Amino acid sequence: MDRRKALKKTGLLAGAALATPSILSLLQACKSEPRLTWKPEFFTHDEASTIGTLVDMILPRTDTPGALDVKVDVFIDKVIAQTYDEIGQQNIRNEIAIFNKRCAENFGAAFASLDESKKVEVLRAEEKSSGKFNPGVWGTTIGTQEPIGFYRSMKSMAIWAYFTSGEIGEKVLNYDPIPGEYDGCKPLSEVGNRWSLG
Amino acid sequence: MANYNIDAKKELTYDAIVIGSGISGGWAAKELCEKGLKTLVLERGRIVEHVKDYPTMNLDPWDTELRGGLTPEQKKKHQVSMRSNWVGTDTAHFWADDEANPYTEVKPFLWLRGHQMGGRSLLWGKQTYRWSDLDFEANAKDGHGVDWPMRYKDIEPWYTHVEKFAGISGEPLGLPQLPDSHFLPPMELNCVEKHVKSRIEKEFDGRHLIIGRCAHLTVPHNGRGQCQNRNRCSRGCPYGAYFSSNSVTLPAAHATGNLTIRPFSIVQSIIYDDTKGKATGVRIIDAETNEDIEYSAKVIFCNASTLSTTQILLNSKSNRFENGLGNDSGELGHNLMDHTYRVGAMGKVEGFEDKYYKGRRPNGIYIPRYWNIDEKSKNDKFLRGFGYQGGGYRGGNAANIEDFGADYKDSILKPGPWEFFITGFAECLPYHDNQVSLNADVLDKWGQPTLAIDAEFKENEKAANKQIQEDGVEMLEKSGLKDIIGFDNEHPPGYGVHEMGTARMGLDPKTSVLNGFNQVHAAKNVFVTDGACMTSSSCVNPSLTYMAITARAANHAVAELKKMNL
Repeated sequence: MDRRKALKKTGLLAGAALATPSILSLLQACKSEPRLTWKPEFFTHDEASTIGTLVDMILPRTDTPGALDVKVDVFIDKVIAQTYDEIGQQNIRNEIAIFNKRCAENFGAAFASLDESKKVEVLRAEEKSSGKFNPGVWGTTIGTQEPIGFYRSMKSMAIWAYFTSGEIGEKVLNYDPIPGEYDGCKPLSEVGNRWSLG
Repeated sequence: MANYNIDAKKELTYDAIVIGSGISGGWAAKELCEKGLKTLVLERGRIVEHVKDYPTMNLDPWDTELRGGLTPEQKKKHQVSMRSNWVGTDTAHFWADDEANPYTEVKPFLWLRGHQMGGRSLLWGKQTYRWSDLDFEANAKDGHGVDWPMRYKDIEPWYTHVEKFAGISGEPLGLPQLPDSHFLPPMELNCVEKHVKSRIEKEFDGRHLIIGRCAHLTVPHNGRGQCQNRNRCSRGCPYGAYFSSNSVTLPAAHATGNLTIRPFSIVQSIIYDDTKGKATGVRIIDAETNEDIEYSAKVIFCNASTLSTTQILLNSKSNRFENGLGNDSGELGHNLMDHTYRVGAMGKVEGFEDKYYKGRRPNGIYIPRYWNIDEKSKNDKFLRGFGYQGGGYRGGNAANIEDFGADYKDSILKPGPWEFFITGFAECLPYHDNQVSLNADVLDKWGQPTLAIDAEFKENEKAANKQIQEDGVEMLEKSGLKDIIGFDNEHPPGYGVHEMGTARMGLDPKTSVLNGFNQVHAAKNVFVTDGACMTSSSCVNPSLTYMAITARAANHAVAELKKMNL
């Protein structure tokens, strides 16, 4: 990748941070980033790699599908492209850049290019430092919500995208479009996973 | 299903005109049509036929491209209603176009509107509670506002009348402050709600936790199907299991053959004839063609929704009424009320991890008012009272759990922790300076003056909110909940969507706009029976009372017409 273009995309053109050695390895790492198998509407290739890697780490494939199996990354891209205004979109770009910059400074490369153990370290650190969502009542947050931060926001979006995908909603969670009766006290063992429709 | 008569071209004269087709307008139409009056319902939006025009009623999240997300264009169109957090792709088509219908917030006020046949009866919360004499006597007793020109005994038969037709589910309790309705079987509390109920009722004398009383059918009723517990009500219910004008009253009005409903009809003003000393008709603007048309009728029912009705009255100027139809008292536009909203407490409930529920019950719990109902329950910090709504459910926020990866993913496929919340609704006193006025500086899409809304909650409501939060935390503590949070989102009026007042009923024409049968004091063939007529606000949800008041007034109108008094 062209150095200047890479710098521009990671939002690092301005400021003294430019000259650190970690930036060099960040740029070198570009070569080994995985190729996307889909064409984003909003994300750049690198941004899509970051998000794809992140949601795969949070919700990996087990004996049930993982985030990438149900195209969580593709859906997040679409939601940002089609429902965010320009300011919101720019904020996401900046946040991804800052996240990757933090990875580069602390671990030597952009998130998607780190080896597995480094990625785990990054996520552990983000879990500790990222804000928490206040509870809500009837769809509205109660109290004053402190800033959430990029990681937890993206994690929340990934979970939403995962749970609302047809694959998970109909086949993994308990799908009950027309419950009929309401049973207010049922042994959990008779249900298993959570209901997919809220 | 109904194939409504929308042809109002040939006939410009009717026995009755009903302005608006929401909860109260639907009832006015049904009662007037069933009593044989040729009735024209003027609806400012489009026709929404039951079932046929509910495009999202069966959609799962994955059936829509953005799974509920709105585009920036949709967000702009619903910039006001979005503040409620209730607008998504599933219901966006039932919320008004905020860009075409601006209003001015002198102080913050959320005005939520539904501009289509059925209005907000498609979107409402469906909680239905009778008012009591504690409410109807409140103004007279503490001196705030003016006395209601009626008492519980006057409206009781009409509660019965509307309940039997609408279908209200609930459990009788025999409480004087919350009279029982004619109930269909109650919905069921879940295990956590039963647990909290037993603890609260044991720990606090005079407090009760009950299943919400609501306009949902728990058994088939009058040809409509029972609730299937899908909780997709506000998209329109294919079973007709909840009360809406579209599923209940307007089909009944249509069945008489006496109903004409004219869509895209924005009422500009009511025409008052100085020589006849009464209203003779209504002037409309066709929302699509901008054509001005006048319709005549012997009686006119205003059911445009609280603030829209008052806007029409203020805009109906004549030599006799220079400041708006029926505004001899100067009270038109004043005494706007709403309930306080989103103040309460929540917490986690332990010990029920092996329990879950089946079905998405579109209803919660209710804790009836317990302060200031007698000498023993007197609270010196605030006047009147509040009730709570809430519920228990398995929730939690999976994103907040500090974990990720395979085990984490498998764990969040299971239901989260049990949580329980209660949120209070406090009565708002009628304050003269909580008001709306016409604003000629801001015009709507059709060149009409808009409303400026200048209202706020004051000390009494704030004191009640404080008590709501304190009591809420205490009740949850005594119920053994963990991680309890008290909250007050300090919402301005409007968020409760129980706007009331601005054309109040009263005994004295000098201090009120309407008489005891909802007739404009000085124009007796004009009736106002939506939320605008309310003299006080109680602390319980008002819609059932609008229904009863409307049925009562409509039957009075018919009787007066027969006596040639109108």
